[in-house]
Amino acid sequence: MPNDILALGPFIAAVSVAIAVLLVDIAVPGRRGPVLVVSLGGLALVAALTLTTGQAVAGGDGTLRVLAFGGAYVVDGLTTFLDLIFVGIVAFTIVFAPDYLEARGLPLAEFAMVLLFAMTGAMLISGAGDLLVLFVALELMVLPGYMLAGYHKSDGYSTEGAIKYFLLGSFSSAIFLFGLAFTWGATGTTSIEGVSGALAAAVAGGGALAPALVLGLGFLTTGVAFKIAAVPFHYWTPDAYQGSPTPVTGYLSVGPKVGAFALILRLFVDALGPLRVDWLQVVIILAVFTMTLGNLVALTQSNVKRMLAYSSIAHTGYMLVGLAAFAAGRIEGLEGLLYYGAAYSVMNLGAFAVVAAIQRRAGVTSGLDTFAGLGRREPWLAILMTLFLLSLTGIPPTAGFFAKAYVILAAVQAGNAGYTAVGILAVIAVINAAAAAFYYLRVVVYMFMREPRSEDAAMAHGRLMWGGLVVASVLTVVLGLIPGPFLDIVGRAARAIGG
Amino acid sequence: MRAWLYLIAAAVAGAIVTTPALIVLILLGGSFDDALVAGLATLMIAAGIAVVSMRDIIRCGLAMIVCFLSLAGLYVSLGAPMVAAAQVIVYIGAISVLILFAIMLTQEKVGSARLTFQTQAAPAAIAAIVIAVLVSVAAFGTSWGEVSEHIRSATVYVAHALFQNYVLVLEAVGVLLLAAVIGGVFLAKREKGA
Repeated sequence: MPNDILALGPFIAAVSVAIAVLLVDIAVPGRRGPVLVVSLGGLALVAALTLTTGQAVAGGDGTLRVLAFGGAYVVDGLTTFLDLIFVGIVAFTIVFAPDYLEARGLPLAEFAMVLLFAMTGAMLISGAGDLLVLFVALELMVLPGYMLAGYHKSDGYSTEGAIKYFLLGSFSSAIFLFGLAFTWGATGTTSIEGVSGALAAAVAGGGALAPALVLGLGFLTTGVAFKIAAVPFHYWTPDAYQGSPTPVTGYLSVGPKVGAFALILRLFVDALGPLRVDWLQVVIILAVFTMTLGNLVALTQSNVKRMLAYSSIAHTGYMLVGLAAFAAGRIEGLEGLLYYGAAYSVMNLGAFAVVAAIQRRAGVTSGLDTFAGLGRREPWLAILMTLFLLSLTGIPPTAGFFAKAYVILAAVQAGNAGYTAVGILAVIAVINAAAAAFYYLRVVVYMFMREPRSEDAAMAHGRLMWGGLVVASVLTVVLGLIPGPFLDIVGRAARAIGG
Repeated sequence: MRAWLYLIAAAVAGAIVTTPALIVLILLGGSFDDALVAGLATLMIAAGIAVVSMRDIIRCGLAMIVCFLSLAGLYVSLGAPMVAAAQVIVYIGAISVLILFAIMLTQEKVGSARLTFQTQAAPAAIAAIVIAVLVSVAAFGTSWGEVSEHIRSATVYVAHALFQNYVLVLEAVGVLLLAAVIGGVFLAKREKGA
């Protein structure tokens, strides 16, 4: 039992930080400083604890896997890697939020607290060794997201987006749970290892799968596809993203998305690994539609937040390309997916941070017009935005380029190895990446080559905001220029489940 | 005159609910257990349809209670009295009553209590039927193995499952509820100025 608690250390620490923020806000209500210190300091602590737990419990190379609570929780290289990404995402979001929230009279304490609870859910997903843990963890991750989407209570769009997000999110959770019940009924176990074993036995037996199991897997796939906003399960995304306060949108576009991919890795790669060939087809189809539709609709958007929402759908598609390459037998596909998750988190959070910074004054919209003349009004902000947009497009030497190259190369290799469909998928991904350049660069054109409609004075931004932006932009460049050390960690995480 | 109509409607409803049970019992030669499950399942589906199709929201709420009650009956007949008790206490005792109170307190005295968002009833019905067919095909096409005796779900077994195999899930649910309470309080709290 003591070892079990030790393995769960980072999760327990994260819950403690969230409760500490609650207590701080009770002790000194409405103060920003203490909340920021406790939440950011606590996050640093959680990150350190995650690293040491990964080292101590799972061994230096991270491929060792340690089971806690009778196999309900797993610590391996993947758990450590994903936990660190989640900590990073939440830290960036908390850093970028205060300016925006302050201008609209919204409190920071509840924001940070609920965000931290969402992080605990994501961390539990990354180490889930049991389907029930997976489900409760998923709920723990998305439930705070519903509340954050409606955080701006007096704004009708925020409430509307939150209700749409809540209804469709609960609906997809119910579908997921239904699928889980069928899977349990057909295999007789909820543990991921048990399900994987039962499936391997069924595949080795040669006969067709039980119809109930097929239906269960279908429901599970549908539920997950909702969560990652894959086409055609993406309808909630644009409204939820546009209505939410901008820092929340930034978080929603990366946090729950990477969390849902963590769920996919635990569920599809770990539990449903024996059926890899069967779900490869589904992933290919989802990837093609997700990339293409996300990009096509993003082309026509005149609101930057909505444009980024559709583009995040397209990025889901690129990540699915990595998953398809992995299902076709290339471990590089899994590495690419993990690298993509990290790179996408940094650059997308950065882009949303700039949008939030521009909306420093209440009432400023996120329309494309707002960006006109930004290059002259606030040159540094415009330069950083350009960097993030170039990275999202996939132009070297940024992280976005390397991430796209990684997943596409893995897909090409899989295509050469006989999986023609995955090879074609790589071609479609390249065409999509080229098409995406149009709408990303249009924002750059607006910033530097359009005259502003009205002469607005430059706005002052907090030191925290600038610090976060600098860190995000440095990471965007460094991850693209010297990916070597980071790739070691990614490789270890990938081998933990796919090796 | 109205009273007669109500009586006839009640008789028709009772006949609809009891017919499948009688068919199972007499025509298919099933046991009383099977007949009970068939009757309760029919009642649950009928009540569920009533929830989504009736126009008066109070009646929808009452039909929902019937739906929950028949589900509790199903739990009992499947050998899970503990779950059935929880179903009655939580869903009927707490949630349904809460919903009815919320409707009564928020409803305006004048004006319609009609639901206004039933605009996609036909496609939704088609989708529901397709899924129902899919689920029943899958359920009947699978050999579930023989369950020779009733599943043991006395309190002590539930406790063992909760506090041994699924203790992590139980704790995680605690964190989930805390997060939900904080989020709910924030959203429901009245702003100082408003």
